[in-house]
Amino acid sequence: MAFDHNRRPRAVVIGAGVNGLAAAATLAARGVDVTVVERGRGPGGMMTGAGQGELGHFVWNLHPAALAELGLGAADLGLGAEVATVLLAADGRHVVIEGEAISFADGTPHPDAAAYRALRARLARFAAVLAPLATAAPPRLGSGMLNRAGLSDLAQLARTGLGLRRLPRDARREFLRVLLSNAADLVRDELPDGPLAASLVFDAILGGRAAPGAPGTVLALLWRHAGGGRRRPAGGMAALARRIAGAAEARGVTIRYDATAAGIEVEGDRVRGLRLGSGEVIAAEMVLSSLGAMPTLRLAGPAHFDAEACRRIRGLRCEGTTARLDLRLAEMPRIEGLDGRLAGARLLLAPSVAAIEAACRPVKYGAIPASPVAEVLIEPGDGGAEGPAHLSALVQHVPYAPECGWTEAAREALAAAVIGALGTHMPGLPGLVTESRLATPRDIETMTGAPGGHWHHAELAADQMLTLRPVNGMARYASSLPGLWFCGAGAHPGGDITGLPGRNAALAAAADLGQGVTR
Amino acid sequence: MSRSDHFDAIVAGGGHNGLTAACYMARAGMRVLVVEKNDWLGGAAVSRELHAGWTYSNCSYVCSLLRPEVVRDLDLPQHGLQVIPYTGGATFTRDGDYFAYHSDHRALEREIARLSPRDVEGYERFSIAVMRQCRFIRPLLLRTPPDPVAPRPRDVAELVYLLRRFHDLGPRETGEAMRFWTASVGDYLDGFIENPLIKAHLAGSGIIGTGLGVYSPGTAYVLLHHYMGDVDGAVGAWGFARGGMGAVSGALARAFRAAGGEVVTCSGVERILVENGRVTGVALANGDTYRAPVVASGMDVKRTFLGHVEAQHLPDDFLKAVRRFKIRGSSGKINIALDAMPRFPAAPEDASFLSGDLHVSESLAELERAYDDWSVGRWSAEPYVDMLIPSRIDPTMAPPGKHMMTVFVQYAPYDPERDGRRDPAHWDEAARTAFADAVLDRIERVSPGFRDLVLHAEVRTPVDLEREVGLTEGNIFQGELTFDQLLFNRPVPGYADYRTPVKGLYLVGSSAHPGGGVMAAPGANAAREILRDARRLDRTERAFRAA
Ligand SMILES: Cc1cc2nc3c(=O)[nH]c(=O)nc-3n(C[C@H](O)[C@H](O)[C@H](O)COP(=O)(O)OP(=O)(O)OC[C@H]3O[C@@H](n4cnc5c(N)ncnc54)[C@H](O)[C@@H]3O)c2cc1C
Ligand SMILES: Cc1cc2nc3c(=O)[nH]c(=O)nc-3n(C[C@H](O)[C@H](O)[C@H](O)COP(=O)(O)OP(=O)(O)OC[C@H]3O[C@@H](n4cnc5c(N)ncnc54)[C@H](O)[C@@H]3O)c2cc1C
Repeated sequence: MAFDHNRRPRAVVIGAGVNGLAAAATLAARGVDVTVVERGRGPGGMMTGAGQGELGHFVWNLHPAALAELGLGAADLGLGAEVATVLLAADGRHVVIEGEAISFADGTPHPDAAAYRALRARLARFAAVLAPLATAAPPRLGSGMLNRAGLSDLAQLARTGLGLRRLPRDARREFLRVLLSNAADLVRDELPDGPLAASLVFDAILGGRAAPGAPGTVLALLWRHAGGGRRRPAGGMAALARRIAGAAEARGVTIRYDATAAGIEVEGDRVRGLRLGSGEVIAAEMVLSSLGAMPTLRLAGPAHFDAEACRRIRGLRCEGTTARLDLRLAEMPRIEGLDGRLAGARLLLAPSVAAIEAACRPVKYGAIPASPVAEVLIEPGDGGAEGPAHLSALVQHVPYAPECGWTEAAREALAAAVIGALGTHMPGLPGLVTESRLATPRDIETMTGAPGGHWHHAELAADQMLTLRPVNGMARYASSLPGLWFCGAGAHPGGDITGLPGRNAALAAAADLGQGVTR
Repeated sequence: MSRSDHFDAIVAGGGHNGLTAACYMARAGMRVLVVEKNDWLGGAAVSRELHAGWTYSNCSYVCSLLRPEVVRDLDLPQHGLQVIPYTGGATFTRDGDYFAYHSDHRALEREIARLSPRDVEGYERFSIAVMRQCRFIRPLLLRTPPDPVAPRPRDVAELVYLLRRFHDLGPRETGEAMRFWTASVGDYLDGFIENPLIKAHLAGSGIIGTGLGVYSPGTAYVLLHHYMGDVDGAVGAWGFARGGMGAVSGALARAFRAAGGEVVTCSGVERILVENGRVTGVALANGDTYRAPVVASGMDVKRTFLGHVEAQHLPDDFLKAVRRFKIRGSSGKINIALDAMPRFPAAPEDASFLSGDLHVSESLAELERAYDDWSVGRWSAEPYVDMLIPSRIDPTMAPPGKHMMTVFVQYAPYDPERDGRRDPAHWDEAARTAFADAVLDRIERVSPGFRDLVLHAEVRTPVDLEREVGLTEGNIFQGELTFDQLLFNRPVPGYADYRTPVKGLYLVGSSAHPGGGVMAAPGANAAREILRDARRLDRTERAFRAA
């Protein structure tokens, strides 16, 4: 390629979410001159609603490989201890999971604890087999494997295969059986339906549209279980985002906020730079976009992609299903038997697998669920444990575009459904609410630009994973337009606060520049 | 024929797969006995006269999947099998519109253009993509799945064969194949076609017999399962077996008897006898015992091992895997004797597509709702119906001027919900009537006066299918066709090669690869493995090659 080798190669990264920042730091560490442009006021993307507060709750898989590129250690993140999970049960016998200990709220041991631990252990072992796949571009399959570039893929596959071979034979068979199966059956084969079973199934469906019985949900569950326990960053997601942004800047990355990417400059079928909303053009050899595939395509202009690629990108399923409800409360709510254990815990409002299944149905018809399931976090306000408190709920499955539209009534109906369901466990809750704010998937799209407001930028289902992510033919981060790369949650291995898509994409881009060695 | 009770092999269950395996073994010179609990053969591939003068294909009703290799090997045409293709089909909407499918390319193009000009090109792409997947999978149907976990030399060769096929596909097409195998039929169709009615027509094949909805991942594969057959070499085409689907079993039974095979009906296998980990024979419900070193079970994997083999002979892990095998019933059927040809006012009088598969549907959302009903234990209020009138093409099915209609219904639960409880016993007379009404009313809406033509109707719920055919929970495929139960995972990981933990006991029914449908592939594949173990392969190869 005809680059001027007397100056540093330049890259622009679109978006200062976790992946944009991880990508930027990875490139900067390899001598690339990187500018990040971010439309929002602050860093964090979906973690923070693009600097407007907070969308996410916990961190469980901020990956060491991405942190290494940022020059951060796990200790630098200000993450708290692993939080306890409290499962709210329909019959009031709530379950508390603290590490390996599983008991009812009153301290009596849970009869299914051993079966639950065994299943979790099995999932963790399987997740470990898949783990090597997450830290590199998805392997090329088919004839690509046999040329020279394919050798590293073979090596990666071999590592995965090796992980598989380390499992005992029966576990290997089980792995190949469950890989594409559904979470509901997997869990119910081992546990009776109830809050404990539901808590695992919830992990499989959080952020996506698939119902628990949909084949492929086990794969989603395994990605999730590749990380560790859930932790809450000190100061919330905004503080964590600032730490990550600071680390990127320390690597020499320039971050420009309130800077909206308006178009990708192309010349002679190659990316030449990025045009901002202000009209300013930043010249660069490469643009890495952490936006979804569709907004990225729009920035470049569909004319630079062939018809098949456009069709595939347009066909991506990316309507979000997660809403966030924030409530300011006059005081900490109470749940009998759980006093003192609510603050900061991960509360799951998902009493059974059947309840999750029921909560998944209305979204298919653009309806608002009457009994949604949710992950809830309650934190005391500045006034201490007795003072005002803040409750937030990540609510599933909420339609992106309800049949009735997101009218005020529709918004109120959803908030009321969540408050009502929580109220059965926290008497008096409705009376404590002093302020309520709802972010629907559509609002989240407006806030962050994520297509459909989708947690993963595009549904993380088997037909949109690995070599099919974001779409078949562009799964190794390089788009079909030379110099344009996908580096966000829409690329492999998908969303959650991991930093992996960004880090993997930047490694691929750097290798393309021939900068992979100048560390 | 001698009545001695010693055989070289006993086939437990005279379904079409059991009969297929029996034929291959008999042709290889083994002395084979087929034991069938009913007083007729064929299992879910039968023709029965349940109303005087009418022949019902009372389970399976159309033919396409039957492997041409088996038809040839076993000389089924000489034994009376004739398959008559039909060339069209249609989906009617409530408001009087319809989409007609034609196997004639030009006619189909015109029809698609009538509804949605933009979909002509999309359909073209769709059919090319599906045909490509068909071409990929068809050769796998008559091969024993390799064991990827503990491969023996034969498995290694088979794995290499598979890898080579992927390699030949190239990366892009490998990706497309992966997408196809994991996508839902709804999402897949959304990528090609815009018109909701055309989509609804095409999506039906993705849910037939399946406890999944049009938007459940994996249903694109089920669609493939219905496209990968052929009639006279026309891939994807379907036809009627002349005389009903019993003609398939009938031809197999004649071929079997011609090769010297023996049959016992009217008494089922009570117990598969095992000594020291080896099968020794079967004990029948009527008290008779037959001995053989080989027993081939044509029953599904659950019925075989949970019903007829004592648990002490089976490893715990295996039993556990059999117990969790998913075999949910989701289909019902109504077979109807009609006084005259029903009218479909939307269609041109005497349109040829009326001789094919007819449906009542509006959209994928409606099909998804039908699935949602089932998943909470109700039959679909607006069910998907696949109805055919074989008597239009095959006059043997009904008296002159009268007609026979077969209506396949998706979805119907095995254990309907009532008062928060699910129980097969909830299929009482009232429930059956209400179920039939839901179906007949739906047909009446696109065919006014239909109900007045009904002379007799046989209503079949999943419970009936279980009771009569032995299909556990009434699952028509002897086990769901999801990826965790396909290829090397079917029916139990590690036992996909038709063998079981009991030496000499084989699975030859649709619970084994490649699964359900009147395909005869599991039976043929299993026979090959049995004969290999019996060291009669050279003779089998001759049997397989027999013209
Ligand atoms: C409600 C909700 C709760 C969640 N909770 C959790 C959680 O608790 N734990 C967890 O691990 N994951 C959670 N997630 C998922 C996780 O936040 C995301 O998967 C992840 O943050 C995606 O990061 P990203 O960098 O790929 O993309 P984003 O975070 O979406 O970053 C994209 C950035 O690009 C910017 N941008 C958009 N358009 C332009 C433009 N034209 N020009 C310039 N900049 C632009 C946006 O402002 C944004 O900052 C949650 C998601 C949602 C929706
Ligand atoms: C309603 C319905 C509609 C269908 N429609 C079609 C269609 O149109 N086209 C198509 O290709 N496929 C169709 N199928 C699927 C197809 O018919 C079946 O998958 C296939 O016939 C199964 O054949 P099999 O030989 O494997 O098993 P089965 O047919 O189930 O045979 C098992 C046999 O074992 C016998 N048996 C059970 N227990 C005992 C015992 N204890 N002792 C002795 N014998 C016993 C049974 O009576 C039966 O004869 C349909 C199935 C159903 C139920």
